[in-house]
Amino acid sequence: MTEQTKVVMRLDGVGDVHRLDVYEANGGYRALRKALAEMKPEEVIEEVKKSGLRGKGGAGFPAGVKWSFVPKDYPGPKYLACNADEGEPGTFKDRWILENNPHEMIEGCIICAYAVGLSHIYVYCRGEFYEGKRRIEQAAQEAYVKGYLGDNILGSGFSTHLTVHTGAGSYECGEETALLTSLEGGRGHPRIKPPFPASEGAWGMPTVVNNVETLATVPAVIANGAEWHAGMGTEKSKGIKMVCVSGHVERPGIYEVEFGVPISGIICDLAGGVWQGRKLKGYFPGGSSTPVLPPEKAELPYDYESIAEAGSMLGSGAIIAFDEETDVVRMAEVIARFYAWESCGKCTPCREGTRWMLQIYERILKGGGRKEDLDILLSICDNLEFRSLCPFGDAAVGVVRSTINLYRDEYEEYIREHKVYRRKFVPVRH
Amino acid sequence: MTVAVQLHPELRKWVEERLARYPTRRSLLVPTLMQAQKYHDYASPGLMQAVGELLEVPASEVMSVASFYTLIPKHPVGKHVIQVCHNVSCYLRGCDEVIAHLEERLGCKVGETTEDGKFTLVTVECLAACGSAPVMMVDEKLYENVRPEMVEQILAEAD
Repeated sequence: MTEQTKVVMRLDGVGDVHRLDVYEANGGYRALRKALAEMKPEEVIEEVKKSGLRGKGGAGFPAGVKWSFVPKDYPGPKYLACNADEGEPGTFKDRWILENNPHEMIEGCIICAYAVGLSHIYVYCRGEFYEGKRRIEQAAQEAYVKGYLGDNILGSGFSTHLTVHTGAGSYECGEETALLTSLEGGRGHPRIKPPFPASEGAWGMPTVVNNVETLATVPAVIANGAEWHAGMGTEKSKGIKMVCVSGHVERPGIYEVEFGVPISGIICDLAGGVWQGRKLKGYFPGGSSTPVLPPEKAELPYDYESIAEAGSMLGSGAIIAFDEETDVVRMAEVIARFYAWESCGKCTPCREGTRWMLQIYERILKGGGRKEDLDILLSICDNLEFRSLCPFGDAAVGVVRSTINLYRDEYEEYIREHKVYRRKFVPVRH
Repeated sequence: MTVAVQLHPELRKWVEERLARYPTRRSLLVPTLMQAQKYHDYASPGLMQAVGELLEVPASEVMSVASFYTLIPKHPVGKHVIQVCHNVSCYLRGCDEVIAHLEERLGCKVGETTEDGKFTLVTVECLAACGSAPVMMVDEKLYENVRPEMVEQILAEAD
């Protein structure tokens, strides 16, 4: 029986945790006090490194290592950009943190700022999170009043500030360099790396970009110690992860588990299994950007390495399950439309490739598919992948290639029989 | 012909209060265009020019930036904007039925505004609430586990 290990969500069910007094009464800001009073900044970085904490926005890069890339004696300001631009289809954990436990994230931000010497924290929050933005702003105000933010925090001599910055509707701005361009007042276009944000980020200054969940895990790591965190999970994927389960399951929701638990345990024990007594047809292990895996691969341990070995990615931790009655071609079109619409347009292969793929899906669903269409789709995938500045293009390829490989007969049926998908509404052509 | 727009004093104040938080004035461009919707109907060419003057960004640049973001309306919209997610998790749990029902009830298609100017109906990409799919937003309010039969109540609440 797979069970949850609640760390970031440990106060789930306690009412009003978004209020500072309630958060403090439940151990809040003790980690920050400990860091400021007992640890040197480099010791905090060392502790996070030793804990094995990995970035939870999708890439899984070790957080402490990222922090250590920021130059120590930089003669100008350095920044933290907290990535609250949650947009990967299937992912809804950061929304939960922002709305229900904003202080945990703010405490993590301040600890990070102290460790790396960052003078300003920008929480880049997606435009649609109206409630989340209000909660973070209220929480930050409370933290300022209590002396957790501002000048000379708790008498330590360390100062940092926090600003909530709103996005305005763009998936691409969740990519770290596009986020920085947007923060500076531009179109959300990514930048070539290197230079990485740690050396040249916001306004050209060294900048740490971390996901909400990563930062919200930091207080527990500091309070309980690196060994405690490293003792959970697997050898390479240490710790815990908030897993968002959606799609055709009985109990969709967020489940926080140790890395290494069986994926079938997350889907069946925690999320109640496939709905309406149906069978699982397949699932996305880490959001719409990750290749679909078949039901046989639901027994895998939930960790970065096992899922990568199976040909997909753990991504942002979004399991989307679909049942045996799903029209896979239409489902893939839904996602192809998303990538075509959200491609920022900077790199030609991605801008043109995503649109071209959508056009092919549209003609297949209209009954006008041609027998060469699957080869064309696969060839576009080959010409799109690894050919743009950011991973968006690679992400757009996953669903197309994996569903053609796994469910080719369904595609072929559409094309051979000139089957027509009956739309309930006509999507807008952008 | 661009019709000149005077920025609402509250919007100017909002911007002035935040300038010190950023190393450049331009950084406030996207948040200002979002905030402007509280005081102005939409991001008209005149409004974008006025925002550009305030933030010292050429009007053409403001338009370029505004055109990138879906939450900044570049054309007049209805009194209330209905955003229905049509991405994968919502699709799997029946958003198509909700969208079809909304089109029928409002008498307008996705991307259009009702004749009385009350509602604009748009489909949007993932709203990050997939655990309670299908979801939709009316202005700033999120509605979860939406079924076609809930639509009437949701519209009544907005009005």
